[in-house]
Amino acid sequence: MIEGLAGLGRFALFGAGVAWRIVTPWWEVGETSRHVWQLVARCFLPVVAVVFPFGMVMALQGLGIFAVFGAQRMLSSLVSVAVFRELSPVLACTLVAAQGGSAFAAELGAMRIQEELDATEIMAIDSLRAHVVPRVVAALLASPVLVLVGSISGIAGGFVTAVYVKGEPEGVYWANLWALTSPVDVAGGLVKAFVFGGIIGLVACYQGYFATGGAAGVGRAVNNAVVIAVTVFVVVNYFLTTALFGAIGVG
Amino acid sequence: MTTLLAFVRFCGIVARASLSNPPPVRRIVEEAHGIGVRSLPILLVVSAFVGTNLAVQGYNAFAPLGGERLIGMFVALAGVRELAPVMVAAMVAAKAGTEMASQIAVMRIGEQIDALEVMALSPHWFLVTPRLVGILLVIPALTMISIFTLVLCSYGVAVYQLGLDGNDFIQLAAATTRPVDLLSCAAKSLVFGAIICLVSCFYGFHTRPGPAGVGQATNAAVVVSAVSCAALNYVLSEVLFG
Repeated sequence: MIEGLAGLGRFALFGAGVAWRIVTPWWEVGETSRHVWQLVARCFLPVVAVVFPFGMVMALQGLGIFAVFGAQRMLSSLVSVAVFRELSPVLACTLVAAQGGSAFAAELGAMRIQEELDATEIMAIDSLRAHVVPRVVAALLASPVLVLVGSISGIAGGFVTAVYVKGEPEGVYWANLWALTSPVDVAGGLVKAFVFGGIIGLVACYQGYFATGGAAGVGRAVNNAVVIAVTVFVVVNYFLTTALFGAIGVG
Repeated sequence: MTTLLAFVRFCGIVARASLSNPPPVRRIVEEAHGIGVRSLPILLVVSAFVGTNLAVQGYNAFAPLGGERLIGMFVALAGVRELAPVMVAAMVAAKAGTEMASQIAVMRIGEQIDALEVMALSPHWFLVTPRLVGILLVIPALTMISIFTLVLCSYGVAVYQLGLDGNDFIQLAAATTRPVDLLSCAAKSLVFGAIICLVSCFYGFHTRPGPAGVGQATNAAVVVSAVSCAALNYVLSEVLFG
């Protein structure tokens, strides 16, 4: 209990320190852009590979539900609402946590264990500024891009199932795509991605930065980074959904 | 490509080792207990909040059409059939899978796996088989628990936050979820469990030396198993429900 509270306090201090260094100069611009590029390149395939089949599954089950009412033409509206608002932010960010977050924790953990972080400090270089801030900023910037990629591939997945597997008319799919969604939904999904990216970056870097106990400790840090980041942003997601898309009962 | 071949070979060795000798029961119970109990808390949290979200989004999608009563059906179709098994797979991969990968990777770089071979014990039989049987024992149970939590929480949101009729919800959800569907979910989760365990152990066995190697192995284990589960999910859905 006390241990947990102490960890929470240490995390808050760590987060505040990182946030302060993000808004004050100087910035490691080269290092940051390298991390953004690396994160997008690393996560691109996994995001597409997960969201695309999920779009296909949505179409499969959605056709089942709409066929009961003879409303198959509404399929693409449902797919686009679900993908933009919910599926793509959550699934893509799960992949960012699994691929990018765990890589952050592994890299920083290895640097901590091999005393490279101490070496950085001894050379009078702020290790938070040099190693942590670029990674957190990269997660913040890359997540919305990846969520957009995910959204497009989810809609494409729905299209493939509806048109090529189930033989629905192609034009109807595109015509109803924007029936229930607006640019606000797309923007809402990107806001979510930005918040989730921040959570992933901070949690993963925290776990790696404070890793202890040799190679096994690095494994533990990676494990914790993924699990904690995903759990936290799924919880935050519910509140964000209610706040952004406002669903308080009509009574 | 060579990785895929090596993976198939690895699965073959595990299968042969598991079938030739009955695995030690005590180790299986240990692993099953470890995987089940350690994954349960995060699984409960994640399923609860996915359930609440599903209700809010379903309401948003159906209310403009005047179909907010259908929310029970939506939760049963999207949540029970699709999201719950995949979510359980993702969380088990993140929690138990990464643990398997990092434990075995540490044993590899500590040369403990070589030590097992020197003692003429098959490391696949000793390390992988109990984990495989253990995960197959607990993952259907975890899926059922997750389905229950998910439906319970979306019921709570539908009735108390959105002010919908609770009876409608229960009736539609129950009508949409037949007992066969629950069995199909359990079958899905068995496939996912086997993939997670084999992939994670595979990456643990083939780790590169040093702390960075262990980190990379753990990373690869969770990404590859999550991606293969999500991709296979479509095929399984098409076969089981299509």
